Amino acid sequence: MTTQPATAPLRDDEPPVNLWRDAWARLSRNRLAVLSLAIIGLLAFVAVFGPWLTPFDFLSQNLDARNLSPNWVHLFGTDELGRDVFSRVVYGTRTAFVVAIVVTGIAATLGVILGALAGYLGGPFDRFVMWFTDTTMSVPQLLLVVVINASLKPPLVNFMEAQYEATKNGFFRNAIIIDFVLVFGSMALILWPPYARLIRAQVLSIRSRPYVTAARALGLTTPIIIARYIIPNAIGPLIVAISAGLGNAMVLESAFSFLGVGVNPPIPSWGNMISDGLQVWRNHAHLLAAPAIVLGVATIAFSFLGDGLNDALNPRGRK
Amino acid sequence: MSERLLDVRDLKIEIDTRRGRAVVVDGIDLHVDKGETLGVVGESGCGKSLTMLSLVGLLPNRIHTTGGSAHFAGTDLLRMQPAELRAVRGGRIGFVFQDPMTSLNPVMRIGDQLMESLRQHKRLDKAAARQRAGELLKLVGIPGAEQRLESFPHELSGGMRQRVMIAIGLACDPDLLIADEPTTALDVTIQAQIVELVKGLKQRLGMSVVWITHDLALIAGLADRIAVLYAGTVVEDAPAELLFRDPAHPYTRGLLASIPRLHGEDGARLSSIGGTPPEPGRRPQGCPFAPRCPLAEAMCHDIVPALAPLRGVATPHRVACHVANRVREAA
Amino acid sequence: MLLFILKRLGIWVPTVILVVLGVYALAFYGAGDPIKLIFMRAPGDVAYDPVRIEAIREQAGLNQPFLQQFANYLFNALRGNFGNSLVSGRSVWSMVAAAAPVSFQLGLLAITLTAIVAVPLGMIAGMNQNSRLDYAILGAALLVWAIPAYVAGPLLMVFLITVLPGAAVPYGWGGIFDARIILPLVVLSFQPIALIIRQTRAAVIEVLSEDFVRTARSKGLPESVVALRHILRPVLTPIVTQLGLIMISIVNGAIFVELVFGLPGLGRLTVSALTGSDYPIILAITVIGSFLVMASNLLVDVLYPILDPRAADTRSGR
Repeated sequence: MTTQPATAPLRDDEPPVNLWRDAWARLSRNRLAVLSLAIIGLLAFVAVFGPWLTPFDFLSQNLDARNLSPNWVHLFGTDELGRDVFSRVVYGTRTAFVVAIVVTGIAATLGVILGALAGYLGGPFDRFVMWFTDTTMSVPQLLLVVVINASLKPPLVNFMEAQYEATKNGFFRNAIIIDFVLVFGSMALILWPPYARLIRAQVLSIRSRPYVTAARALGLTTPIIIARYIIPNAIGPLIVAISAGLGNAMVLESAFSFLGVGVNPPIPSWGNMISDGLQVWRNHAHLLAAPAIVLGVATIAFSFLGDGLNDALNPRGRK
Repeated sequence: MSERLLDVRDLKIEIDTRRGRAVVVDGIDLHVDKGETLGVVGESGCGKSLTMLSLVGLLPNRIHTTGGSAHFAGTDLLRMQPAELRAVRGGRIGFVFQDPMTSLNPVMRIGDQLMESLRQHKRLDKAAARQRAGELLKLVGIPGAEQRLESFPHELSGGMRQRVMIAIGLACDPDLLIADEPTTALDVTIQAQIVELVKGLKQRLGMSVVWITHDLALIAGLADRIAVLYAGTVVEDAPAELLFRDPAHPYTRGLLASIPRLHGEDGARLSSIGGTPPEPGRRPQGCPFAPRCPLAEAMCHDIVPALAPLRGVATPHRVACHVANRVREAA
Repeated sequence: MLLFILKRLGIWVPTVILVVLGVYALAFYGAGDPIKLIFMRAPGDVAYDPVRIEAIREQAGLNQPFLQQFANYLFNALRGNFGNSLVSGRSVWSMVAAAAPVSFQLGLLAITLTAIVAVPLGMIAGMNQNSRLDYAILGAALLVWAIPAYVAGPLLMVFLITVLPGAAVPYGWGGIFDARIILPLVVLSFQPIALIIRQTRAAVIEVLSEDFVRTARSKGLPESVVALRHILRPVLTPIVTQLGLIMISIVNGAIFVELVFGLPGLGRLTVSALTGSDYPIILAITVIGSFLVMASNLLVDVLYPILDPRAADTRSGR
C-alpha cells in the first residue's frame, strides 16, 4: 500500500484556500456534475444559436414529407405537417431556456427581496410574508396556475384589446405575446415562495451568528455587515436553489404547455410537442421520443448539477 | 500481583486524507492492570480518543488501525471477528463519552436506552432489565430512579445526563470502563461530583478505569497511573505520585508549569509551551516534541526516542526522551 | 394534547378560509362575470341585452359586494353546493363526487407505496454512503424524478404492451384491485418516491454522524438494531414533515396520470374544465386540492410532538 511519507514538510507554494476555490475544486472533481454542466452548456448554446443554424425553419411546412421517420435530411423526422422535428426541438430548447431563465429571474428577484426584507424587518411584515408564502405553497402548483391562467386571461386580453384600440399598434394583437406573458406571470407567481423562505431563513440565522455580533461590536455599519457577512453566506444556498429552480421551471413550462396553458402551437415547446406526439405515438414514435428524451436529459442534467453544487458549497453533509 | 487486563503494544492509526494516508497515532504502548485507574492525558488532537475507540472498533470512517496489538484478557482485540468484538463492546468494556447532550438518543426514554445493553449482553427479559436499570440509576446517584426511567434526555440536567451515561457504561458489569473526557462539558462543581462518583464506583465494583482528559489537575486525585500523550505517542508513563513529584519529560514539565497557581507574584506571567503540535501528515522526523522543546539537541531531531524506564533503572516510571534520561544519569 | 390540537386548529381554520378567499378572488376579479360568460358562450350571434343580464344577475345574487358573495360561496360550499357547471349545467358537487373516489383511492395507494418503497431504499442508500449501491439507488431516484409523468406513462405503456402482449391495456378504471391500476399507480408514485428516497438518505447521513449512534454502537448492539431503533426513529421526523409536499406532488401528478391512463378522476375533470373554461369546477377542485394539502400539514403539525419529544409542550409526554 503506497502512502505519502508521513513527514512531508510544509509547502509554501500552496495557494490560500477560500470558499469559491474550494467549492470549484470539489465541483470539478464530481464527474457527474461536470458532465451535467457540459450538457447544459451545450443546450444553452443550442438555445441561443440553434434556430439560426438549423437547416429548416420550424414553421415551414412541407406537405409532401409528412410524418417521416428520422433520416439523414430530417434528423428527427417530420411531423404531420411536414415540419422538421429537429428544428422544432431546437427551437423548443430556446423556448425552454427563455421561459426558465426569465421566470426564475423574476421569481428569484421577487423572492429574495421579499425574503430579505421579511428577515431583516421582522414584525408584522415578516408574518405577512410568511403567511403569504405558506398559503401559496399550499395550493398545488398546477391547480394554481390553472386558476391564474383562467382568471388572468380575459382581463389581459381585454387590456391588450384596449391598448390596440388606443395605439393601433399590432404588437398588442400578438397572441404569442399574450401567451408568454401569461406563462411568465403565472409561473413566477408560483415559484417565488421557496426563494423568499430560503433568503429569509439565511438572513435570520446569519444575523444572530456570533461573528455578526462581533462585527457589530467592532463598530461595522449595517450595510457593510450585509454586504460582507450576510450576502456571501447566503449566496451558496441561493445558487443551489437557482440551479434546481431552473430545472424545475423547465419541467413546469413543458407541463403547462402539455396541458395547453403554456406556450401554444405553432411556437414549439417540448411540452406541446409531447402533447401532440401522445396522440400518434403508436404509429410515429419519433414525434414523442424526440422532445421527451431531450426534456428528460435536460432535467436530469439540472438535477445532477444542483446536487453537485450542493455538495460543493455545503461540505458539512459529507462524511 | 495484579494481572494485566489491557495490554496495548505499538498501536498505529492512520487517517485517509486527500493527499494520502497520514499517521495520527505512531506506536502507542499502554497497559491497564486489574482494578487500576489509568489516566490518559494530552491536548486536543494527540490521538487519545482515537486510541481508545480503535480498541473496540468504533473508529470513524477514513480512520484505520494499521499496526500493533491490543490484548484484552488474553485475546487481541484488533484481530477479533466483528461479532466477537461486539460481545466485548458494552459487555466487557464499557464506554462513557464526552458530551451527554448529544450522546443520548433524544427520542428514546432513558430506561429504554439502559435496558438495551442489558437485554443484548445479559439476555435479561423486560422485567428483569427494568429492575436492573432502576438499580443502576440508583447506583449512579440519580434521585427518583424509578420515575426517571420514563424520562427523555432533554428533561434531565447535564450532570444527571452524564450519570446516566455512566450507568449505561456500567450496565453489564464490565471489567474495564473507558471514560473519554466525561467531565469536560460540565460545570466545575458537577465535575467534582462525577469524579467522586467514579471513585466510589471503582471501589465498590473493583473495575479498571481508563480516564481520558486534558486536565492534569483533575486526574491527579483519581488516577493510579498516568500516561502523557503527545502527537500520537506516549511521552511519559508513571504512577501518579511519581509523575507529579518528579516529571521527567519536558512536555510534562511544561504542562505542569502552565497550571495557574492561586498564589504567586503579582504581575507574573502564565507560562505556556510555545508553538503548536504537528498536524497529522506533517510529523517531524525524530522526537515529535523537538521543535518546541527547550532542551532539544541535534539527536532529538533525528532519532525518535523510545519509551524506556527512567535512568535505565527498574522503575515503573517510563519516559520517551533522550535528554531526560541522560540528564538524570549525570545528576 | 387536546388543547394543543385545538390551538393548531385555531390557526389553521382561518388560514384555510383565507386561501379559499384568495383563490376565489382570483377567479372573481379575473374571469369576471359568470353570467356574461354564459352569454358570451351562447352559440350564434346573441346580442345580449344589458337589462336582461342585470335582472338575471340580481336574481343570482351577483350584484352584492364581493365579500358577501364570498360568504355565500363559503356557506354553500360547506353544505356541498359549489354551484353548477357552466358547460353541462350539472351540479359541480355531483361531478366532483363522482370523480373524487377514483383520485382519492389512487392517491392513498400512492402514498402507501411511497412509504413502503422509498423509506427502506433511502435508509440503505444513506447507510452505505458513496458506495455503488448508494449511487445506484440515488441514480435511479434522480432518473425517475426527472421523467415527467406524462412522458413516463406512455413509454411504460408501450413497454408493457410489447413485453407482455397478453396483459390488459392499462387504460380505464376498474377499481383498486383491477390490474390496470398498477401502471398509473407506479407512475404517480415516481415523484414522491424519488423525493422521499433523497430525504431519507439525507436524514440518515445526518443522523449517522450523531454522537448517540456512536453510543448505541458502543453498547455492542448489532448494526441492524442500531439502524432500526436509533436511526430510523429520528429519521422519520423530517420525512413525515414532507407529507405536505408529497400531497402536492400527488395532486399535481394525478392530473397527468389520469389524463394519460384514462382514469375518470378529479385530474381529468380539471383538465376538461380548463379547456372549457368551466370556472365553478376549477374553483371547486382548487379549493379541495388546497384543503387536502393544508389538512396534511395540520396532521403533520399534530404528529410532530409525538415523533420528536423535544418539541412537545411543556406538559411533557408521559
